[in-house]
Amino acid sequence: MSSHHSHIERHIEPRWMRNAFIAASVGFVGLLILLPVISVFTEAFRKGVAFYFTSISDPLAMSALRLTLITAGVTLAANLVFGLAASWVIAKFSFRGRNLLLSLIDLPFAVSPVISGLVFVLLFGAQGWFGESLSRHGVHIIFATPGVILATIFVTFPFIARELIPLMQEQGAEEEEAAVLLGANGWQTFRRVTLPNIRWALVYGVVLANARAMGEFGAVSVVSGHIRGRTNTLPLHVEILYNEYNFSAAFAVASLLALLALVTLAAKTVLEWRIRVEERSVVMENVMEEVA
Amino acid sequence: MAIDARHVSKSFANYVALRDVDLHVEEGQLVALLGPSGSGKTTLLRIIAGLDTPDPNPKTEVIVDGQDILDRSASERRVGFVFQHYALFRHMTVFENIAFGLRVRPRKLRPSEPDLRRKVHDLLDLIQLHRWSQHYPSQLSGGQRQRVALARALAIEPSVLLLDEPFGALDAKVRQELRRWLRTLHAKLAVTSVLVTHDQEEALEVADRIVIMNQGRIEQTGTPDQVFHHPASEFVVTFLGHVNLFHGRPEANGHAARMFVRPHELDIERFSSNGHSVAARVQRIQSAGPIVRVELSSDQNEAITVEMTHERYRTLTLRTDETVFVTVREAKVFVATK
Repeated sequence: MSSHHSHIERHIEPRWMRNAFIAASVGFVGLLILLPVISVFTEAFRKGVAFYFTSISDPLAMSALRLTLITAGVTLAANLVFGLAASWVIAKFSFRGRNLLLSLIDLPFAVSPVISGLVFVLLFGAQGWFGESLSRHGVHIIFATPGVILATIFVTFPFIARELIPLMQEQGAEEEEAAVLLGANGWQTFRRVTLPNIRWALVYGVVLANARAMGEFGAVSVVSGHIRGRTNTLPLHVEILYNEYNFSAAFAVASLLALLALVTLAAKTVLEWRIRVEERSVVMENVMEEVA
Repeated sequence: MAIDARHVSKSFANYVALRDVDLHVEEGQLVALLGPSGSGKTTLLRIIAGLDTPDPNPKTEVIVDGQDILDRSASERRVGFVFQHYALFRHMTVFENIAFGLRVRPRKLRPSEPDLRRKVHDLLDLIQLHRWSQHYPSQLSGGQRQRVALARALAIEPSVLLLDEPFGALDAKVRQELRRWLRTLHAKLAVTSVLVTHDQEEALEVADRIVIMNQGRIEQTGTPDQVFHHPASEFVVTFLGHVNLFHGRPEANGHAARMFVRPHELDIERFSSNGHSVAARVQRIQSAGPIVRVELSSDQNEAITVEMTHERYRTLTLRTDETVFVTVREAKVFVATK
């Protein structure tokens, strides 16, 4: 979440120190973040525009793009439902096991993505707990699309819930209570009161989850099996191309991911602005309350 | 419509909010549930509204207009509820806030758009906020917001109106205005209303009847006059405004009398006219206001507060640090033995 402390000019540190810190931060960001992004695009176009478009329209690249989009789509739908449900119960009710649920939601953040992938192999792999009985029924999860999707859901699960819980807790349940007392049923209350109050935070969580879903490498790498044209996502495809010394093609495909990231970044900035506008209205509300 | 709640108990994880409470509200009356925080008054209100459920007990009933509504959900009870912090829908305009209860009705019962607009405009007239109908709650003052909340609750033509500390978040002046406005409104609409408050002045001023609650029980029910002049327990006396406590001498049976006298029931004399006065030293005189409040301290270092008219104060020509005699002017005192 973005926090907005008022920017009070402080004159404790000498000016040169402030400038030095600013220079250091800008230098770091430039060197470690901006430069790599630029290099991705430079390398991508090293062999010319024609080669670039041939690389990204390659059937294997297209299939990787398709899998990435499918995975992101399913992941977001699942996380939207789970994230909303989990945030709702955690923020609006108190029940036994609430704190446990809260910690479990954070688990994917704490666990290395590679471990997350391995967990699914242990569960659904050929030698795993459920692997044998599943394959007997012709269900394949590991080294197949379902595994890729499951691993991605696991890794991105906290994003939406983590955005919503603090906001919903702060808003409390009074507006919902008011709606119910005015005769609204559960769906009307959710649709007309809860959802509008959390919409921007929800979209913000979706954007973050989407960025991670498209870019996830570690967990997906473990469960996918790198079957070209079938279980390769964009990040995995980039790795394969790179390992085959096909640098320009690798960077061309990577530029697709970078573009997706830039779109996400733009969306995130717009949303942060929207959220700030809404938060300001909440702050205004509190100020008015004190003035009134 | 009359409200009858019987045998209502409610316990939370680690405390008991209500202990077998019976509440009766006459049709068309405005009743105040008055008590300190934690006395159970808000819990009782929320149980009537259906926001909380009482502890299971076959004898428990909540009857509104002759029907037991305990099995109905909060959305089916058609109860008007006003929250302390307004709980207005922040993303809706004033107009849409008021219209909400009509818009969520099942299609068959929903009024047509022109009917709905007429109804909302009538309510906007009632709360005198026509100019603000297209504004959002965040653009209104606290007093205006609470009026919107009231209009929103009235829009569904509630069987009863429940108000949970409705003026608690407002400053003294706005609170005063809104109290008077609520009183007029109630006289006009005559909808059975229950108001929860911890402010005894508010309860005495607004309510037809007062229900005084303490520690999950009802201490006393009566008109403002009855509870103020004939308090039924020590708690009621001490809760309804400032009182002076005098300890009597132990009687033959060993019980010590405790006498409670309100500041305006005491008088100050320069000389002891009879044996029943107490000598005390004037500590502080507060004469800015409609009455003069004199704080004294007795020989035994007990604090005594006396209230008198300005006229009486001028006749006495009191000064701080002088010793005077305090007498009980009116015999209307409450004596409790322990």
